[in-house]
Amino acid sequence: MLRRALLRFAQGAAVVVAAATIAFLLLHLAPGDPATALGEGLSPELRATIRAQYGLDDSLATQYWRWLQTLLHGDLGWSRAEHRSVAAVLGDALPRSLMLMGCALTVSLVGGMLIGAWQGARAGSRADRATSLGLLIVYSIPEFWFALMLMVVFAHHLRWLPATGITSDLYEYLTPGEQRLDRLRHLILPLTSLSLIGVAVFARYQRLAMQESMALPFVRTARAKGLAEPAVRREAWRAALLPVISITGVMLPALLTGVVFVERVFSWPGMGYTMIRAIEARDYPVVSAGVILGSAATALGAALADIARDFADPRVRSA
Amino acid sequence: MRLAPLRWLASLLCIGVASCTSNEGGGETRNGGGTLVVTVPAEPSTLFPPLVTGVQGMPIIGVIFDRLAEIGDALETFGDRGFTPRLATGWRWAPDSLSIAFTLDSTARWHDGQPVTAEDVRYTFRVYTSDSLAVDVKSLLGNIDSVSVGDPRTATFWFKRRMPRQFYDATYHMFVLPSHLLDTIAMAKLESAAFGRAPVGTGRFRFARWDPGQRIEVLADTANFRGSATLDRVIWSIAPDFSASTVRLTAGDADFLEMLRPENMAGIARMPSLRILENRALGYSFLGFNLRDPKNRSRPNVLFGDVRVRRALTMAVDRERLVRNVFDSLGMVAMGPAPRALISDTSAFTPLPFNVAAATALLDSAGWSDHDGDGIRDRNGVPLAFTIHIPSSSVSRQRYGVLLQEQFRQIGVQATPLTLENNAWNNAVYERFAFDAFLGGWQTSPGLVGVRQVWTSGGSGNAGLYENAVFDAHVDSALATFDPTASRRYWARVFQQIHDDAPAIWLYEQRTMSAISRRFVTTPLRADAWYAGLADWRVDPALRIDRDRIGRGTPP
Repeated sequence: MLRRALLRFAQGAAVVVAAATIAFLLLHLAPGDPATALGEGLSPELRATIRAQYGLDDSLATQYWRWLQTLLHGDLGWSRAEHRSVAAVLGDALPRSLMLMGCALTVSLVGGMLIGAWQGARAGSRADRATSLGLLIVYSIPEFWFALMLMVVFAHHLRWLPATGITSDLYEYLTPGEQRLDRLRHLILPLTSLSLIGVAVFARYQRLAMQESMALPFVRTARAKGLAEPAVRREAWRAALLPVISITGVMLPALLTGVVFVERVFSWPGMGYTMIRAIEARDYPVVSAGVILGSAATALGAALADIARDFADPRVRSA
Repeated sequence: MRLAPLRWLASLLCIGVASCTSNEGGGETRNGGGTLVVTVPAEPSTLFPPLVTGVQGMPIIGVIFDRLAEIGDALETFGDRGFTPRLATGWRWAPDSLSIAFTLDSTARWHDGQPVTAEDVRYTFRVYTSDSLAVDVKSLLGNIDSVSVGDPRTATFWFKRRMPRQFYDATYHMFVLPSHLLDTIAMAKLESAAFGRAPVGTGRFRFARWDPGQRIEVLADTANFRGSATLDRVIWSIAPDFSASTVRLTAGDADFLEMLRPENMAGIARMPSLRILENRALGYSFLGFNLRDPKNRSRPNVLFGDVRVRRALTMAVDRERLVRNVFDSLGMVAMGPAPRALISDTSAFTPLPFNVAAATALLDSAGWSDHDGDGIRDRNGVPLAFTIHIPSSSVSRQRYGVLLQEQFRQIGVQATPLTLENNAWNNAVYERFAFDAFLGGWQTSPGLVGVRQVWTSGGSGNAGLYENAVFDAHVDSALATFDPTASRRYWARVFQQIHDDAPAIWLYEQRTMSAISRRFVTTPLRADAWYAGLADWRVDPALRIDRDRIGRGTPP
């Protein structure tokens, strides 16, 4: 068990290094650099100064080696576009994205499992078919479009919720209680955009697993023994957890992709917003660090899902 | 933002009372007060003035920092005409005009309470011309030899040559920096100094806070030597998505949006809570030709090396119709390599007319005919076909690319629009010169010095490598003469020459339309800086909303 976990984490580390290296190389191979990213009005002399300052004229191998050395010393580098350390840039952005993604994953998981289990227990019924259709529609909607629609309806027309940002512009002038409420109000639209599709995905997997579980012999036996139906369903649901645990690990990359769009639409200054800005500005250290974090989160998610599945499945646990 | 709950109002009243008693001036009791929320697409990378390059940072440092003197609304750059005192109360020209001694306002204070001294001015010049920093305007300060300190209130600028715009050079490009806070930091380290994210200036607004990715807030400086700003605060609120910005504006969460898009105009005009402000444009856009062979710059371009081809293409474009099509009434045909607002007499030169017949005849006479009957003119087996490089960030230029393609097609020329990601476009056009033609645009500073930077031989922005010694000489003369009449005459020759040479087709100037809440009473907008009079903007007392009543107190 421990050996499997260690192996899984070693694989994850290799994936992280490979992903960061590929991102570094690809971004350097793309046309332009931080000097051209400053716009069309810059003089060649100024561009040359910037390149000299940041060693952008050095060979790709030299730049890569310099970046790797810095990284191995625990330093993520310096952001040319933001004039501050990459750690400070990510230190601002990462917690905001983690909060959004954590809430979205929780809502998706809980909502999806509840709906899926409910559907699976009555698979084939009219209510199940109607719910499946609704979830399919939700699943088919592009996230950015859905986000824009939410904004237009709830922020523009109804004016119930704020359109953008993490907090109001006058947040500093609110009392602590109002600040908490303000944060919550700002979270609703991005969270809904990000989690609704996750709900649909989890529900589909949970429904199928629940449906299969309900047909297993132990369920029939439990019923024959006179166990109450809610208790029967609870037991069947426990047996239907494995596919959902597996898909949770896979959902992280999808969530990372989704958060980029949602953060853009709702001006949520998290990792998505930071990465788009860094790519546009050819801010190599920020992009590389972002890829390291993203791939580490994905690898970690997959590893944790594996471990959780091992714990949940007695067959694997005993093997 | 909803500020309606009673508890919130009560706390605001408390703040107001507290701020009144501490002589901070609550929004309720003064004739001023109010909060302006400006929605912007991005935040600046720094607020350290020498390193601010984009349009995002200028309005903010423009209200936090001061120059020695401020340019007039007419943007006159000749001598000191139209300039008004700012940090300097006056100035004295040397008899030979090779130095100007600025006398600093003895009451001027930094926001931390320290007096402004001549040493600050000398230090500022050192920073702006330092080789350790990538300062955009450094090249514009080349005529200033040095700055000396006579006494703590007198800073003298020494010039290398007597030039009509030396006063403008000394004052317009530099915001004065606090040497007492910065001169202990090595020049190369200034870029990373905390000052860039928490600046201390002398302007009528002082820096309050920067929430990265969210907002930057400035507050009225109540102790300012020029008097406190009328508004209590201005917040630049960041919304990268343009749709989100317009929603914020129409929902009342934001008060001001600069640079409206044509498609938003009708909707904004219908909003009773908003009004539209127009500012003179200081930008122009064009289709630039590469006059050299992209593969070998020592050779002329096989198509555009011939002035007849360039002139024919210019005459084939109905620029008036294109402007109407893309911008409706929000654009104008560009008059040349400078915005109309800076050209003193647009009737003194004659642009090439729209004349398809003349364009066709000119191409015929140059040997470009459709020899193989494929609908595209050719000469010696070379088709008259080229690509137009367009940056993906500009929807207007992309539309122009398609329309130009159609207009050129009508005279047997095949133009293919090629939209590239901004960096790729910039790299192809301004770094590698690997293009046939490109849709470009320039935002200019006051004065016509931009013409030299972009269009003369060796000009830093001369991507098409246009060269004409006569044109260069006229530009030099126009910028060097002290006689305004002669200057106008030279500029007329400059524009006529470049129209005759047609290294580009001057396409459009976009009207700068902004939307603002009707609550605000504004001062006239200055073409180069809408924010120049921001400290005197005020809120109509009858139209105040909750956020205008917060006052200047500190947060609870």
